[in-house]
Amino acid sequence: MSVDLSNVRNIGISAHIDSGKTTLTERILFYTDRIHAIHDVRGKDGVGAKMDSMELERERGITIQSAATYCNWKGNDINIIDTPGHVDFTVEVERALRVLDGAVLILCSVGGVQSQSITVNRQMDRYNVPRISFINKCDRTGANPERVTGQLQDKLGLNAHMLQLPIGLENDLEGIVDLVTMKAIYFDGDNGEIIREEEIPAELKDAADEKREELLDAVSMFSDELMEAMLEETEISTDMVREAVRAGTLALEFSPVFIGSAYKNKAVQPLLDAVEYYLPCPTDVENLGLDLDKDEEEFPVSNNDDDPLIMLAFKLEDGRYGQLTYVRTYQGRLNKGDTVFNTRTGKKVKVGRLVRMHSDEMEEIDSCGSGDIVALFGVDCASGDTFTDGKLTCSMSSMHIPEPVISLAIIPSDNKAQINMSKALNRFTKEDPTFKTFVDHETNETIISGMGELHLEVYVERMKREYGAEVEVGAPQVAYRETISQRAEFNYTHKKQTGGSGQFGRVAGYMEPLEEGEYEFEDKIVGGSIPREFISSCDKGFQKSLAKGTLCGSPVTGVRCVINDGSFHAVDSSDVAFQLAAVGAFKEGYIKAKPAIMEPIMKVAVEGPSEFQGAVMGSINQRRGMIIGTTEEGTYTVVEAEVPLSEMFGYSTSLRSLTQGKAEFTMEFASFKPVPKSVSEELIKKFQDEKKEK
Amino acid sequence: MGKEDLVSNNPLRALGFEKDEAADTRRIGLVMARAGLGKTAILVQIAMDSMLRDNKILHVAIGEGVDKTRTWYDDILTLTNDEEKLDNFQQVVDEIMQNRMIMTFKENSFSLATLEERMEDLSSQGIFKADCLVIDGFDFSDSDRTKALAELKTFMESNNLKMIWFSATCHRDDERVSANGVPAPCHDFDDVFDTVLLISPEGGNINLKTLKCSKACAVDAGKSLILDPATMLIKKA
Repeated sequence: MSVDLSNVRNIGISAHIDSGKTTLTERILFYTDRIHAIHDVRGKDGVGAKMDSMELERERGITIQSAATYCNWKGNDINIIDTPGHVDFTVEVERALRVLDGAVLILCSVGGVQSQSITVNRQMDRYNVPRISFINKCDRTGANPERVTGQLQDKLGLNAHMLQLPIGLENDLEGIVDLVTMKAIYFDGDNGEIIREEEIPAELKDAADEKREELLDAVSMFSDELMEAMLEETEISTDMVREAVRAGTLALEFSPVFIGSAYKNKAVQPLLDAVEYYLPCPTDVENLGLDLDKDEEEFPVSNNDDDPLIMLAFKLEDGRYGQLTYVRTYQGRLNKGDTVFNTRTGKKVKVGRLVRMHSDEMEEIDSCGSGDIVALFGVDCASGDTFTDGKLTCSMSSMHIPEPVISLAIIPSDNKAQINMSKALNRFTKEDPTFKTFVDHETNETIISGMGELHLEVYVERMKREYGAEVEVGAPQVAYRETISQRAEFNYTHKKQTGGSGQFGRVAGYMEPLEEGEYEFEDKIVGGSIPREFISSCDKGFQKSLAKGTLCGSPVTGVRCVINDGSFHAVDSSDVAFQLAAVGAFKEGYIKAKPAIMEPIMKVAVEGPSEFQGAVMGSINQRRGMIIGTTEEGTYTVVEAEVPLSEMFGYSTSLRSLTQGKAEFTMEFASFKPVPKSVSEELIKKFQDEKKEK
Repeated sequence: MGKEDLVSNNPLRALGFEKDEAADTRRIGLVMARAGLGKTAILVQIAMDSMLRDNKILHVAIGEGVDKTRTWYDDILTLTNDEEKLDNFQQVVDEIMQNRMIMTFKENSFSLATLEERMEDLSSQGIFKADCLVIDGFDFSDSDRTKALAELKTFMESNNLKMIWFSATCHRDDERVSANGVPAPCHDFDDVFDTVLLISPEGGNINLKTLKCSKACAVDAGKSLILDPATMLIKKA
């Protein structure tokens, strides 16, 4: 194993769905001798690509979980995380980006920068990940890498420049011109494994010269040496250009663009070279830990093998041999048999087995050092936990986890399914922080919630396939909220003086809408009309009332409760009496405060050929959506809208049929907004009917 | 306090243009300025004035994204509310935003014919029937496009539009002007526009000058307003 960290690259491969990430990874593994045959994603050979290790992934042709793999290219250790392309799984992308030092953004040469690429780019910005772009599928009809590079500049705001030119395009794609070495490169052999370097074809010479000039102009600001050589018109060496490109890329001020076709085995090897030349090694980037002894003060991790161990568990998988925990080591060394300390739980655990992952196969190793990505066996922890050797009390920075927006009830078919379902849910919730589960005590149903229909659908499928848990699935439910629209006063007396010990408490005050935040309580009691010891009882009573609103039974948010008067009884007043008085007061005030039901509104972007723009807008309009705008770019149009989540169920099917499968959409939570009167009446009626049935 | 309070300080109103709209005329307006002086901010204020009077506005941005255009509206609404402090601000915003749609085009994919086709798509399905258009980023130096301007009146009539406002960039080193004082590149066809406003920096202030007004217009040409350079809202004494 290499110790010199300058030869280590931890990279992610992120992109829009179907832009060929998994195919590209497959080729990388082939050229680095990790696999000895190439299988396609939706391959006729029935084997499927190496990185899509889950049965479901192979069947759908999309990557659901990021599998980590390792390869060695020209003496460089490269750890690759293949990440999912669908927006429902972005937590996987985010987790991968958190632990990686650099990334390759894959784009389709026809589709260009699509909505998911924008999301992924935003995520890379959030974690300051230096990136290079690979414009894939240059063999496809309509391929136009130059247009896509323009989109990288316009849509993503990247200082993107091509470092290569295509030799032919679409069916005629033969190879590339490297603008740094000024050589033409061809890929011969059955699998493009034989690289042939030639002089640049005469017809491309002028274009190559012009593009190289543009490139040098763009990167010269990152290297004084290059700038000087350009001004003095002395010879510009290949290393000089590479160093300038690398400096710009690491500073996140330049983004080199490479082109090729993974499927046709063209130009994957130069991309691997680019990973070495332009993406950072672990010591090139600053990773910050939080010192828990110093009020979470940030400190840079050292990347030094001799310092105390710090590593982050960023992904869990439950495999045949127990829980597999993927970790990134930030400093220190970990040996097989060492005991590590989980800073969240305070528990010590022994690392029995240490493996390097290659999709679902593994390789036993004895130790790992800083900058490494490996997997541990039999370590009980949750995703996001930090491990140390006990000498440090620190945590790596927390990860951004979005709140779930959709839920559905699942009912196991029998007792066996119930047991298996519990096991599956236990594992899934540990693995994926955006997937949550709880039991609704009124209906006794198990509810799962997540980031979208597909997200939940995949977990239900996995429950069936991996755990044999047959479950019936209820209709997806939207997480409604209730709130109040105006100030209202309350003055409620709770009195029970029949049989046993009495109860007495009077609570008076008002409630008002709260602009920011979910709930606030203020005590304005003067003169002891409610004794101090019962003030918190009032707060508790209000909080109990918030759990379930009276309109549709959803949680109440955005309420400020203020108490300013009350009365008590020397004998009959108690904690319970004041809690019940507050519950009664809340009910009294709530009705007067014009309560309203709020629903989650999603920001939806539908992207497809312009000819379907009218149909797409019509479909959004039918779903109570408000179209914010449309962006027309040549033959493609993006329609952006805000649509209630409740109206988005089944939209993917309907969109497919409307657009002959040529349009796709992404959505993310935008805000909560009041539901229209008709919907509100319907929800209230449904809630009343359900109450009567009970 | 209601949504009316949000437009009381609108440049169009301050200049007296609301009388012009009452006259039920079809008006074509133009806001000119050198690059970076705030043409979009003025167009957005003009659009908002119209939206607050329950007109449906289609904001066409050429060479800009939907998000950036939307941010202009959000920023100007927030700035206006900082002064007016509406109790039900979010409710008012949600209400008036129903009256706006943004359509963006790449420079090379925009034409009035494509725009008309898209507007037809929207209105035939009952999704959005624009009363007014705001076109930001129209290239007046492209002679093919400017030829189409001659058809604007017909375009307005066939789409039943009350007004169209354009923005145009003028350049410091191009001194050509029309008889009305309208700078290049619009000096040759300033007859197309009923109203022409010019944003010009003077001293530490930004002035919004009325260069041209149609006969029906109640505003005197030459009248001007002082804008706050930080917010592009009318500067208060």
